[in-house]
Amino acid sequence: MVARILAWAVMPVIFAAAVLGLNARAESEPEIDPESDQEQALFRGMPDEDGRLEVFGFCGSCHSIDLVLQQGLPRAVWEQVLVEMVRDQEMAPLQPNLRVKVLDYLEEYYGPARKARTQ
Amino acid sequence: MAAAGAVAGSALPFDRWSRHGFISEANAQALPLEGKDGLTVLGDRPLTAETPPHLLDDEVTPVARHFIRNNGIAPADMAADTWTLTIDGLVDRPVTLGIEELRKRFEVVSHRLVIECGGNGRAGFEPPARGNQWTYGAVGCSEWTGVRLADVLEASGYKETAIYTAHEGADLHLSGTPGKLPISRGVPLQKAMDPYNLIAFEMNGGPLHPMNGAPLRLVIPGWPGSCSQKWLTRIWLRDVVHDGPKMTGSSYRVPPYPVAPGEFVPEEDMKIIHAMPVKSLITRPQTGLAIDSRELEVAGHAWAGDAEVDRVDVSTDYGATWQAAELGPPRNPHAWQRFSAKVRFRAPGYYQVWARATDSNGVSQPFTPPWNPKGYLNNSLHQISVRVD
Repeated sequence: MVARILAWAVMPVIFAAAVLGLNARAESEPEIDPESDQEQALFRGMPDEDGRLEVFGFCGSCHSIDLVLQQGLPRAVWEQVLVEMVRDQEMAPLQPNLRVKVLDYLEEYYGPARKARTQ
Repeated sequence: MAAAGAVAGSALPFDRWSRHGFISEANAQALPLEGKDGLTVLGDRPLTAETPPHLLDDEVTPVARHFIRNNGIAPADMAADTWTLTIDGLVDRPVTLGIEELRKRFEVVSHRLVIECGGNGRAGFEPPARGNQWTYGAVGCSEWTGVRLADVLEASGYKETAIYTAHEGADLHLSGTPGKLPISRGVPLQKAMDPYNLIAFEMNGGPLHPMNGAPLRLVIPGWPGSCSQKWLTRIWLRDVVHDGPKMTGSSYRVPPYPVAPGEFVPEEDMKIIHAMPVKSLITRPQTGLAIDSRELEVAGHAWAGDAEVDRVDVSTDYGATWQAAELGPPRNPHAWQRFSAKVRFRAPGYYQVWARATDSNGVSQPFTPPWNPKGYLNNSLHQISVRVD
Protein backbone atom coordinates (compact mmCIF):
# COMPACT_ATOMS: atom_id res chain seq x y z
CA MET A 1 0.00 0.00 0.00
CA VAL A 2 2.72 2.41 0.96
CA ALA A 3 4.64 1.66 -2.19
CA ARG A 4 1.48 1.96 -4.24
CA ILE A 5 0.93 5.43 -2.87
CA LEU A 6 4.60 6.24 -3.20
CA ALA A 7 4.62 4.93 -6.74
CA TRP A 8 1.77 7.19 -7.72
CA ALA A 9 3.29 10.10 -5.87
CA VAL A 10 6.73 9.55 -7.29
CA MET A 11 5.82 8.68 -10.86
CA PRO A 12 5.04 12.27 -11.89
CA VAL A 13 8.26 13.36 -10.24
CA ILE A 14 10.23 10.79 -12.15
CA PHE A 15 8.52 11.70 -15.37
CA ALA A 16 8.98 15.39 -14.79
CA ALA A 17 12.59 15.05 -13.67
CA ALA A 18 13.46 12.88 -16.63
CA VAL A 19 11.59 14.94 -19.21
CA LEU A 20 12.52 18.35 -17.85
CA GLY A 21 16.06 17.22 -17.24
CA LEU A 22 16.39 16.15 -20.84
CA ASN A 23 14.79 19.33 -22.15
CA ALA A 24 16.87 21.54 -19.94
CA ARG A 25 20.04 19.85 -21.10
CA ALA A 26 18.94 20.01 -24.70
CA GLU A 27 18.29 23.75 -24.51
CA SER A 28 21.22 24.94 -22.50
CA GLU A 29 23.81 22.47 -23.70
CA PRO A 30 22.76 21.36 -27.15
CA GLU A 31 26.09 19.68 -27.77
CA ILE A 32 25.47 17.09 -25.08
CA ASP A 33 24.18 13.73 -26.27
CA PRO A 34 20.79 13.18 -24.63
CA GLU A 35 21.86 9.57 -24.11
CA SER A 36 24.39 10.80 -21.59
CA ASP A 37 26.15 8.46 -19.25
CA GLN A 38 23.99 9.75 -16.45
CA GLU A 39 20.79 8.99 -18.28
CA GLN A 40 22.09 5.63 -19.39
CA ALA A 41 22.89 4.82 -15.79
CA LEU A 42 19.47 6.01 -14.62
CA PHE A 43 17.63 3.90 -17.16
CA ARG A 44 20.11 1.03 -16.98
CA GLY A 45 20.65 1.20 -20.72
CA MET A 46 16.98 0.80 -21.66
CA PRO A 47 16.40 1.84 -25.30
CA ASP A 48 15.03 5.38 -25.41
CA GLU A 49 11.80 4.53 -27.16
CA ASP A 50 8.10 4.93 -26.53
CA GLY A 51 7.16 3.13 -23.33
CA ARG A 52 10.52 3.37 -21.59
CA LEU A 53 9.34 5.73 -18.85
CA GLU A 54 6.23 3.66 -18.21
CA VAL A 55 8.18 0.39 -17.91
CA PHE A 56 10.84 2.04 -15.76
CA GLY A 57 8.28 3.69 -13.51
CA PHE A 58 5.65 1.01 -13.13
CA CYS A 59 7.97 -2.00 -13.05
CA GLY A 60 10.75 -0.34 -11.09
CA SER A 61 8.78 1.34 -8.32
CA CYS A 62 8.77 -1.67 -5.96
CA HIS A 63 11.67 -3.75 -7.23
CA SER A 64 14.89 -3.08 -9.07
CA ILE A 65 14.36 -2.51 -12.80
CA ASP A 66 17.31 -4.88 -13.26
CA LEU A 67 15.01 -7.76 -12.40
CA VAL A 68 13.01 -6.91 -15.53
CA LEU A 69 15.94 -6.14 -17.79
CA GLN A 70 17.82 -9.37 -17.13
CA GLN A 71 14.89 -11.45 -18.34
CA GLY A 72 13.83 -12.00 -21.93
CA LEU A 73 10.28 -13.26 -22.09
CA PRO A 74 7.60 -13.68 -24.75
CA ARG A 75 4.68 -11.22 -24.58
CA ALA A 76 2.30 -13.85 -23.20
CA VAL A 77 4.62 -14.48 -20.26
CA TRP A 78 5.11 -10.75 -19.60
CA GLU A 79 1.31 -10.50 -19.53
CA GLN A 80 1.20 -13.29 -16.95
CA VAL A 81 3.88 -11.49 -14.92
CA LEU A 82 1.69 -8.36 -14.82
CA VAL A 83 -1.34 -10.42 -13.76
CA GLU A 84 0.65 -11.95 -10.89
CA MET A 85 2.17 -8.60 -9.86
CA VAL A 86 -1.37 -7.28 -9.37
CA ARG A 87 -2.70 -10.50 -7.81
CA ASP A 88 0.20 -11.25 -5.46
CA GLN A 89 2.50 -8.25 -5.15
CA GLU A 90 0.30 -5.19 -4.53
CA MET A 91 0.79 -3.65 -7.96
CA ALA A 92 -2.00 -1.27 -8.97
CA PRO A 93 -3.71 -2.52 -12.17
CA LEU A 94 -2.56 -0.57 -15.22
CA GLN A 95 -5.01 1.37 -17.36
CA PRO A 96 -5.58 -0.57 -20.61
CA ASN A 97 -3.61 1.92 -22.74
CA LEU A 98 -0.68 1.90 -20.31
CA ARG A 99 -0.78 -1.86 -20.12
CA VAL A 100 -0.50 -2.12 -23.89
CA LYS A 101 2.32 0.41 -23.93
CA VAL A 102 4.26 -1.48 -21.26
CA LEU A 103 3.73 -4.83 -22.97
CA ASP A 104 4.66 -3.42 -26.38
CA TYR A 105 7.93 -2.10 -25.00
CA LEU A 106 8.77 -5.30 -23.15
CA GLU A 107 7.94 -7.42 -26.17
CA GLU A 108 10.02 -5.25 -28.49
CA TYR A 109 13.13 -4.81 -26.34
CA TYR A 110 12.99 -7.49 -23.67
CA GLY A 111 11.67 -10.50 -25.54
CA PRO A 112 13.56 -13.79 -25.91
CA ALA A 113 15.75 -12.35 -28.68
CA ARG A 114 17.01 -9.62 -26.36
CA LYS A 115 18.01 -12.23 -23.83
CA ALA A 116 19.88 -14.10 -26.49
CA ARG A 117 21.83 -10.99 -27.46
CA THR A 118 22.80 -9.89 -23.98
CA GLN A 119 24.01 -13.24 -22.65
CA MET B 1 23.54 -11.26 -18.20
CA ALA B 2 26.71 -9.26 -18.00
CA ALA B 3 24.76 -6.15 -18.83
CA ALA B 4 22.45 -6.64 -15.87
CA GLY B 5 25.15 -7.57 -13.40
CA ALA B 6 27.78 -5.53 -11.67
CA VAL B 7 30.55 -6.52 -9.36
CA ALA B 8 29.95 -5.76 -5.73
CA GLY B 9 31.74 -2.65 -4.62
CA SER B 10 31.79 -1.15 -8.10
CA ALA B 11 29.51 1.54 -9.41
CA LEU B 12 26.11 -0.13 -9.07
CA PRO B 13 24.01 2.89 -8.19
CA PHE B 14 22.54 2.00 -4.84
CA ASP B 15 21.60 5.63 -4.52
CA ARG B 16 19.70 5.49 -7.77
CA TRP B 17 16.46 6.54 -6.14
CA SER B 18 17.88 9.21 -3.93
CA ARG B 19 18.20 11.61 -6.81
CA HIS B 20 14.41 11.58 -6.96
CA GLY B 21 14.06 11.95 -3.24
CA PHE B 22 12.95 8.32 -3.08
CA ILE B 23 14.98 6.61 -0.40
CA SER B 24 13.69 3.19 0.52
CA GLU B 25 14.46 1.38 3.74
CA ALA B 26 16.82 -0.84 1.78
CA ASN B 27 18.81 2.17 0.67
CA ALA B 28 18.80 3.56 4.16
CA GLN B 29 20.80 0.55 5.32
CA ALA B 30 24.46 1.34 5.07
CA LEU B 31 26.33 -0.73 2.51
CA PRO B 32 24.46 -4.02 2.45
CA LEU B 33 27.38 -5.60 0.59
CA GLU B 34 29.97 -4.66 3.18
CA GLY B 35 31.83 -7.84 4.08
CA LYS B 36 31.04 -9.47 0.74
CA ASP B 37 33.73 -9.92 -1.87
CA GLY B 38 33.58 -10.60 -5.59
CA LEU B 39 29.85 -11.28 -5.84
CA THR B 40 27.92 -10.47 -9.00
CA VAL B 41 24.88 -8.36 -8.22
CA LEU B 42 21.75 -9.29 -10.18
CA GLY B 43 19.52 -6.68 -8.57
CA ASP B 44 19.63 -4.23 -5.69
CA ARG B 45 15.97 -4.24 -4.61
CA PRO B 46 15.54 -6.93 -3.50
CA LEU B 47 19.25 -7.53 -3.19
CA THR B 48 20.34 -10.59 -5.15
CA ALA B 49 23.99 -11.49 -5.68
CA GLU B 50 25.79 -14.67 -6.72
CA THR B 51 29.36 -15.91 -6.53
CA PRO B 52 31.44 -16.78 -9.61
CA PRO B 53 32.34 -20.51 -9.52
CA HIS B 54 36.10 -19.99 -9.10
CA LEU B 55 35.44 -17.95 -5.95
CA LEU B 56 33.58 -20.90 -4.42
CA ASP B 57 36.67 -23.10 -4.23
CA ASP B 58 36.90 -23.12 -0.42
CA GLU B 59 35.73 -26.26 1.38
CA VAL B 60 33.80 -24.00 3.71
CA THR B 61 32.27 -21.06 1.90
CA PRO B 62 33.53 -17.86 3.54
CA VAL B 63 30.89 -15.37 4.66
CA ALA B 64 32.26 -12.98 2.05
CA ARG B 65 31.51 -15.47 -0.72
CA HIS B 66 28.08 -16.70 0.29
CA PHE B 67 25.36 -15.69 -2.18
CA ILE B 68 22.47 -13.38 -1.25
CA ARG B 69 18.88 -13.90 -2.26
CA ASN B 70 16.52 -11.47 -0.60
CA ASN B 71 12.82 -11.46 -1.40
CA GLY B 72 11.88 -8.28 0.42
CA ILE B 73 13.50 -5.41 2.24
CA ALA B 74 15.85 -6.54 4.99
CA PRO B 75 14.75 -5.47 8.49
CA ALA B 76 16.36 -2.32 9.84
CA ASP B 77 16.80 -3.80 13.31
CA MET B 78 18.91 -6.96 13.49
CA ALA B 79 19.91 -6.71 17.15
CA ALA B 80 20.67 -10.18 18.50
CA ASP B 81 20.01 -9.40 22.18
CA THR B 82 16.39 -8.38 21.65
CA TRP B 83 15.55 -10.84 18.85
CA THR B 84 12.81 -13.37 19.55
CA LEU B 85 11.52 -16.51 17.87
CA THR B 86 7.97 -17.70 18.44
CA ILE B 87 6.95 -21.35 18.04
CA ASP B 88 3.20 -21.76 17.86
CA GLY B 89 0.34 -23.14 15.84
CA LEU B 90 -0.43 -26.81 16.47
CA VAL B 91 1.77 -27.22 19.52
CA ASP B 92 0.95 -27.94 23.17
CA ARG B 93 3.41 -25.37 24.48
CA PRO B 94 3.67 -22.25 22.35
CA VAL B 95 6.77 -20.32 23.29
CA THR B 96 8.72 -17.17 22.48
CA LEU B 97 12.47 -17.40 23.01
CA GLY B 98 15.45 -15.10 22.70
CA ILE B 99 18.67 -16.27 21.11
CA GLU B 100 20.39 -16.70 24.49
CA GLU B 101 17.49 -18.85 25.68
CA LEU B 102 17.79 -21.00 22.57
CA ARG B 103 21.48 -21.50 23.37
CA LYS B 104 20.77 -22.40 26.99
CA ARG B 105 17.79 -24.69 26.48
CA PHE B 106 19.00 -26.71 23.52
CA GLU B 107 22.18 -28.42 22.40
CA VAL B 108 24.25 -26.14 20.18
CA VAL B 109 25.71 -27.89 17.13
CA SER B 110 27.74 -26.91 14.05
CA HIS B 111 27.40 -28.41 10.58
CA ARG B 112 28.56 -27.60 7.08
CA LEU B 113 25.36 -27.26 5.12
CA VAL B 114 24.63 -26.59 1.47
CA ILE B 115 22.12 -23.87 0.75
CA GLU B 116 21.24 -23.52 -2.92
CA CYS B 117 18.64 -21.23 -4.44
CA GLY B 118 15.91 -23.19 -6.21
CA GLY B 119 16.47 -20.97 -9.25
CA ASN B 120 20.25 -21.39 -9.40
CA GLY B 121 21.12 -21.95 -13.08
CA ARG B 122 17.97 -20.28 -14.39
CA ALA B 123 19.99 -18.33 -16.97
CA GLY B 124 20.72 -21.64 -18.69
CA PHE B 125 17.14 -22.26 -19.81
CA GLU B 126 16.10 -21.75 -23.40
CA PRO B 127 13.66 -20.17 -24.00
CA PRO B 128 14.37 -17.94 -20.99
CA ALA B 129 12.46 -18.67 -17.81
CA ARG B 130 10.94 -16.08 -15.49
CA GLY B 131 12.89 -14.67 -12.57
CA ASN B 132 16.40 -13.72 -11.46
CA GLN B 133 18.83 -14.96 -14.04
CA TRP B 134 21.20 -16.85 -11.77
CA THR B 135 24.08 -18.57 -13.50
CA TYR B 136 26.03 -20.97 -11.23
CA GLY B 137 26.79 -19.29 -7.97
CA ALA B 138 23.57 -19.16 -5.94
CA VAL B 139 24.98 -21.92 -3.77
CA GLY B 140 27.26 -22.14 -0.79
CA CYS B 141 28.34 -24.51 1.97
CA SER B 142 29.22 -22.57 5.09
CA GLU B 143 29.52 -23.88 8.62
CA TRP B 144 26.35 -23.02 10.48
CA THR B 145 25.99 -23.10 14.26
CA GLY B 146 22.67 -23.21 16.02
CA VAL B 147 20.14 -25.49 17.65
CA ARG B 148 18.33 -28.32 15.92
CA LEU B 149 14.95 -27.38 14.55
CA ALA B 150 13.82 -30.88 15.52
CA ASP B 151 14.77 -30.35 19.18
CA VAL B 152 12.84 -27.09 19.35
CA LEU B 153 9.77 -28.60 17.71
CA GLU B 154 9.91 -31.65 20.00
CA ALA B 155 10.07 -29.39 23.06
CA SER B 156 7.03 -27.49 21.85
CA GLY B 157 4.97 -30.68 21.91
CA TYR B 158 3.61 -30.52 18.39
CA LYS B 159 0.23 -32.14 17.92
CA GLU B 160 -0.47 -35.26 15.89
CA THR B 161 -2.45 -33.23 13.40
CA ALA B 162 0.58 -31.09 12.46
CA ILE B 163 1.88 -31.96 9.00
CA TYR B 164 3.68 -28.82 7.79
CA THR B 165 5.83 -25.99 9.11
CA ALA B 166 5.31 -22.33 8.25
CA HIS B 167 8.24 -19.91 8.54
CA GLU B 168 8.12 -16.16 8.98
CA GLY B 169 10.85 -13.54 8.99
CA ALA B 170 11.18 -9.86 9.82
CA ASP B 171 11.84 -8.65 6.28
CA LEU B 172 9.32 -6.30 4.70
CA HIS B 173 7.37 -6.65 1.49
CA LEU B 174 8.86 -4.64 -1.38
CA SER B 175 5.60 -2.71 -1.74
CA GLY B 176 5.97 -1.48 1.83
CA THR B 177 2.52 -2.85 2.69
CA PRO B 178 2.49 -3.16 6.50
CA GLY B 179 2.12 -6.73 7.72
CA LYS B 180 2.48 -8.25 4.25
CA LEU B 181 5.11 -10.99 4.26
CA PRO B 182 7.47 -11.03 1.28
CA ILE B 183 7.97 -14.75 1.65
CA SER B 184 6.81 -17.43 4.06
CA ARG B 185 7.62 -20.98 3.16
CA GLY B 186 7.50 -24.25 5.01
CA VAL B 187 8.38 -27.92 4.74
CA PRO B 188 6.55 -31.18 5.54
CA LEU B 189 6.98 -32.11 9.20
CA GLN B 190 8.95 -35.20 8.19
CA LYS B 191 11.61 -33.01 6.53
CA ALA B 192 11.50 -30.53 9.41
CA MET B 193 12.54 -33.32 11.80
CA ASP B 194 15.80 -34.00 9.89
CA PRO B 195 18.43 -33.54 12.63
CA TYR B 196 20.60 -31.45 10.31
CA ASN B 197 18.11 -28.60 10.06
CA LEU B 198 19.31 -25.72 12.21
CA ILE B 199 17.93 -22.59 13.75
CA ALA B 200 21.26 -20.85 13.20
CA PHE B 201 22.86 -17.88 14.91
CA GLU B 202 26.45 -18.28 13.74
CA MET B 203 28.03 -18.58 10.31
CA ASN B 204 31.63 -19.85 10.18
CA GLY B 205 32.01 -19.18 13.88
CA GLY B 206 30.95 -15.54 13.74
CA PRO B 207 27.72 -13.62 13.52
CA LEU B 208 25.49 -14.08 10.48
CA HIS B 209 26.02 -11.54 7.72
CA PRO B 210 23.11 -9.06 7.70
CA MET B 211 22.17 -10.08 4.16
CA ASN B 212 22.33 -13.77 5.07
CA GLY B 213 19.66 -13.39 7.74
CA ALA B 214 21.27 -11.93 10.88
CA PRO B 215 20.81 -12.54 13.70
CA LEU B 216 18.73 -15.73 13.32
CA ARG B 217 17.75 -17.91 10.40
CA LEU B 218 16.68 -21.38 9.44
CA VAL B 219 19.01 -23.64 7.53
CA ILE B 220 17.09 -26.44 5.81
CA PRO B 221 19.84 -28.01 3.69
CA GLY B 222 19.14 -29.91 0.50
CA TRP B 223 15.87 -28.14 -0.28
CA PRO B 224 15.39 -24.83 -2.11
CA GLY B 225 17.11 -22.06 -0.17
CA SER B 226 13.79 -20.29 0.27
CA CYS B 227 12.85 -22.93 2.89
CA SER B 228 15.70 -21.54 5.02
CA GLN B 229 13.86 -18.42 6.22
CA LYS B 230 16.14 -15.48 7.02
CA TRP B 231 15.60 -12.99 9.86
CA LEU B 232 13.53 -15.77 11.44
CA THR B 233 10.83 -14.64 13.88
CA ARG B 234 8.23 -17.39 13.88
CA ILE B 235 7.66 -21.04 13.07
CA TRP B 236 4.11 -22.27 13.30
CA LEU B 237 2.82 -25.75 12.72
CA ARG B 238 -0.15 -26.40 10.49
CA ASP B 239 -2.47 -29.25 9.57
CA VAL B 240 -2.43 -28.24 5.90
CA VAL B 241 0.30 -27.66 3.36
CA HIS B 242 1.46 -24.12 4.15
CA ASP B 243 0.00 -21.54 1.78
CA GLY B 244 2.11 -18.47 2.63
CA PRO B 245 3.62 -16.16 0.02
CA LYS B 246 5.76 -18.06 -2.51
CA MET B 247 4.32 -21.42 -1.48
CA THR B 248 1.45 -21.17 -3.97
CA GLY B 249 0.94 -20.31 -7.64
CA SER B 250 4.04 -21.20 -9.61
CA SER B 251 6.59 -20.23 -6.94
CA TYR B 252 9.16 -22.92 -6.19
CA ARG B 253 7.03 -25.35 -8.15
CA VAL B 254 7.64 -27.43 -11.25
CA PRO B 255 5.30 -29.39 -13.51
CA PRO B 256 5.04 -33.05 -12.43
CA TYR B 257 5.26 -34.16 -16.06
CA PRO B 258 7.84 -33.32 -18.76
CA VAL B 259 6.97 -30.26 -20.82
CA ALA B 260 8.29 -28.89 -24.09
CA PRO B 261 10.54 -25.83 -23.80
CA GLY B 262 8.28 -22.78 -23.61
CA GLU B 263 5.10 -24.79 -23.05
CA PHE B 264 2.32 -23.21 -20.99
CA VAL B 265 1.65 -25.08 -17.76
CA PRO B 266 -1.48 -24.30 -15.72
CA GLU B 267 -0.66 -23.15 -12.20
CA GLU B 268 -2.86 -25.83 -10.67
CA ASP B 269 -0.61 -28.50 -12.18
CA MET B 270 2.58 -27.18 -10.59
CA LYS B 271 3.98 -29.19 -7.67
CA ILE B 272 6.10 -27.96 -4.75
CA ILE B 273 9.82 -28.68 -5.09
CA HIS B 274 11.20 -30.90 -2.35
CA ALA B 275 14.87 -32.01 -2.39
CA MET B 276 17.24 -30.34 -4.85
CA PRO B 277 18.81 -32.59 -7.50
CA VAL B 278 22.40 -33.87 -7.73
CA LYS B 279 24.82 -31.23 -8.97
CA SER B 280 28.49 -30.34 -9.21
CA LEU B 281 30.54 -27.23 -9.80
CA ILE B 282 34.10 -26.95 -11.10
CA THR B 283 35.72 -24.33 -8.89
CA ARG B 284 39.34 -24.75 -10.01
CA PRO B 285 40.60 -23.55 -12.41
CA GLN B 286 38.56 -20.56 -13.48
CA THR B 287 36.99 -20.99 -16.91
CA GLY B 288 39.00 -19.50 -19.77
CA LEU B 289 42.40 -20.57 -18.46
CA ALA B 290 45.28 -20.90 -20.92
CA ILE B 291 48.02 -23.40 -20.05
CA ASP B 292 51.20 -24.62 -21.67
CA SER B 293 51.06 -28.03 -20.05
CA ARG B 294 49.22 -31.13 -21.25
CA GLU B 295 48.09 -31.89 -17.73
CA LEU B 296 45.66 -30.05 -15.51
CA GLU B 297 44.25 -30.58 -12.04
CA VAL B 298 40.57 -29.73 -11.89
CA ALA B 299 38.56 -29.65 -8.68
CA GLY B 300 35.23 -28.66 -7.32
CA HIS B 301 32.29 -29.64 -5.17
CA ALA B 302 29.34 -31.96 -5.61
CA TRP B 303 26.12 -32.24 -3.62
CA ALA B 304 22.81 -34.03 -3.93
CA GLY B 305 19.84 -32.63 -2.01
CA ASP B 306 18.88 -35.17 0.66
CA ALA B 307 21.15 -37.85 -0.84
CA GLU B 308 24.93 -38.21 -1.05
CA VAL B 309 27.16 -38.06 -4.08
CA ASP B 310 28.52 -41.49 -5.07
CA ARG B 311 30.82 -40.49 -7.90
CA VAL B 312 31.97 -37.65 -10.09
CA ASP B 313 33.26 -38.15 -13.63
CA VAL B 314 35.02 -35.64 -15.81
CA SER B 315 35.34 -35.38 -19.59
CA THR B 316 37.58 -33.31 -21.84
CA ASP B 317 35.96 -34.42 -25.11
CA TYR B 318 32.36 -33.26 -24.87
CA GLY B 319 31.25 -36.35 -23.03
CA ALA B 320 32.58 -38.88 -25.53
CA THR B 321 34.77 -40.42 -22.82
CA TRP B 322 34.76 -39.99 -19.05
CA GLN B 323 37.22 -40.58 -16.24
CA ALA B 324 36.40 -41.00 -12.58
CA ALA B 325 37.40 -38.14 -10.29
CA GLU B 326 38.58 -38.62 -6.74
CA LEU B 327 35.67 -37.88 -4.46
CA GLY B 328 35.83 -37.19 -0.76
CA PRO B 329 33.11 -37.96 1.77
CA PRO B 330 30.88 -35.18 3.07
CA ARG B 331 32.12 -33.72 6.35
CA ASN B 332 28.60 -34.34 7.64
CA PRO B 333 25.34 -35.21 5.89
CA HIS B 334 24.21 -32.27 3.69
CA ALA B 335 27.75 -30.91 3.28
CA TRP B 336 29.13 -30.73 -0.22
CA GLN B 337 31.85 -33.16 -1.26
CA ARG B 338 35.20 -32.25 -2.78
CA PHE B 339 36.21 -33.83 -6.07
CA SER B 340 39.42 -33.55 -8.03
CA ALA B 341 40.89 -35.11 -11.15
CA LYS B 342 44.06 -34.83 -13.17
CA VAL B 343 43.09 -34.60 -16.82
CA ARG B 344 45.40 -34.96 -19.83
CA PHE B 345 45.01 -33.16 -23.14
CA ARG B 346 46.14 -35.07 -26.23
CA ALA B 347 47.18 -32.03 -28.28
CA PRO B 348 47.21 -28.23 -28.15
CA GLY B 349 43.83 -26.64 -28.76
CA TYR B 350 40.55 -25.64 -27.19
CA TYR B 351 38.92 -27.90 -24.65
CA GLN B 352 35.92 -27.99 -22.43
CA VAL B 353 36.16 -29.79 -19.15
CA TRP B 354 32.85 -31.17 -17.98
CA ALA B 355 31.97 -32.60 -14.57
CA ARG B 356 29.08 -34.95 -13.91
CA ALA B 357 28.03 -36.12 -10.46
CA THR B 358 25.97 -39.22 -9.68
CA ASP B 359 24.06 -39.54 -6.41
CA SER B 360 23.50 -42.49 -4.11
CA ASN B 361 20.27 -43.29 -5.96
CA GLY B 362 22.18 -43.72 -9.22
CA VAL B 363 20.84 -40.45 -10.63
CA SER B 364 23.29 -38.32 -12.66
CA GLN B 365 23.30 -34.73 -13.81
CA PRO B 366 21.73 -34.28 -17.24
CA PHE B 367 23.44 -32.57 -20.17
CA THR B 368 20.42 -30.34 -20.76
CA PRO B 369 18.13 -29.20 -17.96
CA PRO B 370 14.48 -30.16 -18.24
CA TRP B 371 12.70 -26.91 -19.08
CA ASN B 372 10.06 -25.63 -16.67
CA PRO B 373 8.16 -22.33 -16.65
CA LYS B 374 9.95 -20.77 -13.68
CA GLY B 375 13.37 -22.12 -14.47
CA TYR B 376 14.05 -24.14 -11.33
CA LEU B 377 16.38 -27.07 -10.71
CA ASN B 378 18.90 -26.56 -13.50
CA ASN B 379 21.43 -29.18 -12.48
CA SER B 380 22.90 -29.70 -15.93
CA LEU B 381 26.58 -30.49 -15.88
CA HIS B 382 29.03 -27.66 -15.40
CA GLN B 383 31.58 -26.89 -18.10
CA ILE B 384 34.72 -24.78 -18.14
CA SER B 385 36.90 -23.96 -21.13
CA VAL B 386 40.67 -24.41 -21.26
CA ARG B 387 43.12 -23.46 -23.99
CA VAL B 388 46.18 -25.68 -24.27
CA ASP B 389 49.15 -24.08 -26.05
